[in-house]
Amino acid sequence: MNDTVEVEKPAKKKGKWTRRAFIGAGVAAGGALVVGVAVRPGNPVDSLKDIVAGGQGEELINSWVKIGADNVITAIVPHCEMGQGANSTIAQMLADEMDADWEKVRVMDAPADGNYVSKDALRVFAAPGFKGGETMEPTYDGLFTQISKLAGGYVTGGSSSVRSTGQNGMRIAGAAAKEMLVAAAAAEWSVPAAEITTDKSMLAHAKSGKSEPFAKFAAAAATQELPRAPKLKTSKEYKLMGRPMQRTDIPAKVNGTANFGIDGAPEGQALKYAAVKAAPIVGSRVKSMDAATAKGMPGVLQILNMGDFVAVVADGYWQAQQALNSIKTSYEKTDIDALNSNKMFANFGKALDEAGDDGGDSKASEGDVLGVMEGAAKKVEAEYRVPFLAHATMEPMNCTAWVRDGKCDIWTGTQVPLWARSAAAEGAGVGDDDVTMHSAFLGGGFGRRLEPDYVTQAARVAKATGYPVKLIWSREEDTAHDHYRPADISRFKGGLDKEGKLTSWNNVHCSTDEPAESPLVEFYDIPNVSVRNAEVEWPLKLGAWRSVGHSQHGFFVESFVDEAAHAAGKDPVEFRRELLAKSPRHLNVLNGAAKMAGWGSELPEGHGRGIALVRSFNSIVAEVAEVDMTKGMPRVTKVFCCVDAGFAMNPDGLSAQMESGIVYGLTAALYDEITLKDGAVQQSNFHDYRMMRMDDAPDIAVQIINGAPDNLGGAGEPGLPPAAPALANAIFAASGKRIRELPIAKHFA
Amino acid sequence: MRNIALPVLLAASVGLVSCGSAPEEPIEQIIVSEPGGAAAGVKQAAATAPAADDLVSQGKAAFAVCAACHSIEAGAAAGPGPNLNGVIGRKAGTAEGFGFTDAMKASGVTWTEAELDSFMTDPAAKVAGTSMTAGAVNDPEARKAITAYLASLTQ
Repeated sequence: MNDTVEVEKPAKKKGKWTRRAFIGAGVAAGGALVVGVAVRPGNPVDSLKDIVAGGQGEELINSWVKIGADNVITAIVPHCEMGQGANSTIAQMLADEMDADWEKVRVMDAPADGNYVSKDALRVFAAPGFKGGETMEPTYDGLFTQISKLAGGYVTGGSSSVRSTGQNGMRIAGAAAKEMLVAAAAAEWSVPAAEITTDKSMLAHAKSGKSEPFAKFAAAAATQELPRAPKLKTSKEYKLMGRPMQRTDIPAKVNGTANFGIDGAPEGQALKYAAVKAAPIVGSRVKSMDAATAKGMPGVLQILNMGDFVAVVADGYWQAQQALNSIKTSYEKTDIDALNSNKMFANFGKALDEAGDDGGDSKASEGDVLGVMEGAAKKVEAEYRVPFLAHATMEPMNCTAWVRDGKCDIWTGTQVPLWARSAAAEGAGVGDDDVTMHSAFLGGGFGRRLEPDYVTQAARVAKATGYPVKLIWSREEDTAHDHYRPADISRFKGGLDKEGKLTSWNNVHCSTDEPAESPLVEFYDIPNVSVRNAEVEWPLKLGAWRSVGHSQHGFFVESFVDEAAHAAGKDPVEFRRELLAKSPRHLNVLNGAAKMAGWGSELPEGHGRGIALVRSFNSIVAEVAEVDMTKGMPRVTKVFCCVDAGFAMNPDGLSAQMESGIVYGLTAALYDEITLKDGAVQQSNFHDYRMMRMDDAPDIAVQIINGAPDNLGGAGEPGLPPAAPALANAIFAASGKRIRELPIAKHFA
Repeated sequence: MRNIALPVLLAASVGLVSCGSAPEEPIEQIIVSEPGGAAAGVKQAAATAPAADDLVSQGKAAFAVCAACHSIEAGAAAGPGPNLNGVIGRKAGTAEGFGFTDAMKASGVTWTEAELDSFMTDPAAKVAGTSMTAGAVNDPEARKAITAYLASLTQ
């Protein structure tokens, strides 16, 4: 998992990269990386204009913003809308820098074209903490574009849209667009640019009384030089940023006109439908297929054995699925035909035994862990376990494909339009540029739609049959053929000194850490730390699941801190306060959540409170869960959440993401696991892979701290990791029962 | 300047799009019908029934999707959508036993085959404020068949 991309020396690209372009070179945090931020000479307007500015009288200002003749400003956003609302917030950031009228701002998904890549998202991953400073070329084009192309950018993930594309791209694009409009107006009116003011998508010159809408100068602005360093607003000057502006995607979602991937279809063309069934075990192949019944069933057009899966194409989806259900298949043997979950966990345990107290791959090593542990006044040990998890998006995997005349059209919801384009090209046997992606909203992503396997399938079926085909996975297919959140075992040994202070921390686990910081606890003041991982084999395909490694390590680390607090005889909040003595932002968040929850106040008999704090995707979140244990199965009654995401660009959006992360996290913590029997996934649908329902959901309160206005954190994922440990810690407080294995429900059956 | 080695964490988190092998063709393909060719079932029906009735029977089959919300038997109770028996010639928003939106009642539409076709194409565009937020029929052939089926029940 340590793939690297070697980027050619920029100096070799003679003629394309100017010397000027490297003034902005900077050093990444940790000194590991030296990355230049380059500027490509010229404005890319010409090459992109036809693709995104097709309307009458529309002029493309730069790659990320366009202005219509009606003075409507469209932000062209290289991210996908999957419920998280980030595209709207990013547009808000652009509109603010541009002094645009929010009522007349629209959001458009960028086309899946190589020139639109979320290079800033990549920058956050590639060079975290990188700050260009004054000399950085704050423009949206350049080396990062090149790098992103290599990596197949245009990615929506890593809670990165607002803090990267919004902060480092859209704001700059907005400010640049404004400066270009002002320059155009100054030339036309023959007045100094400095005397021109902008507000609500209007340009004005007070002395002469002149005032015109942005649209008037859109054409002239497009011919202006790209500003080298457009001036950005300070947080005091924000008009839209930091305010709970209404999301642009909501009306369509309320009135039913919103277009999701599954709604996609070629204009005026009768679609056929495909149902598919993949071989049940990873790596196995279809050996034989008996479709005698299926081929006589109503509506059935074609039946395909594709090797790795079987497909039926029919006039209707239900007909295709019914016919598919009647097909008898046999599969070739694999190495993992006899594997079950218990055996897999036993293998994990063996790998951890081998790693012992100091083996495995070191992720962090501070001080003398083993020596200090030896002399500790008190030792705490614990082993935790979490299962595989499926994403269970409400909209199942689906893709509509039409392959004809060497071209391929794709309608789908994806977090990675460019990779999906390549996946379609591969399936259809055409080049990337022969594929047209028709983007749509995603009915849930959570990381599942980072994997375009369903797109390849659709293209293959469309190519083989010649029909325009809408391929839809059944819920059973979706549950059993996901790219799962890894199962894991994590072991801890902690040493407490005489004062009950945590002086030694030794952790070993199996999952490869993604992101790398996920198992680390450097914000806790623990002098001796060792964090390691032991290599194991995975019987299932793995993927990114909302908050990725933090979803496991949040539970492991915060459960263990709680156990250490109890071993030290200290209150869990007080214990953490001591550990956070050198991390003031974390401490503020912890205190915020404790205060919201009335930590320490009386609760009814059988109720309990638990707290957890996790830093993920550059945001700090603490949650206090309240649980009622009087009814047998634990019931979460309340969750108090305090978040510091640097600066909340849209506080309403940030709160909504915290609430959603908490519900998704509690769902998994309480109910869900993907288990293996005879090498195959046992769960199939919502009856055995439950979702939290409204009547199970707690009341949630969210408080926001703007602790670092220039150092933004993510929103889509960070609300999730503290939910499980806060709940498990609350269960301990209420009942004395320590949950060391998820899901919680299996301990109360 | 040193070479820039960029750890592609993204790629690690999402897995790589599979390598550039040639597209995998079907191992076995049972073709009941090819694009452009009429389905075998339809051919048989055409041999024994006049063309207009065939359109009606196709419409009846296509209506299966609509039947999730709309009842069609005379006098049957409305579901999530109104009963469509006798809809042709009816003024929009007047069928008994269904709570139409104000927008539908005020639409002034009288349902002809052409009006139904246009409504089925994009309900919210035809009558902004309709409660029919799903079930648009994209295929013009299917719309034609469904309206023919609905018309056959009006006579």
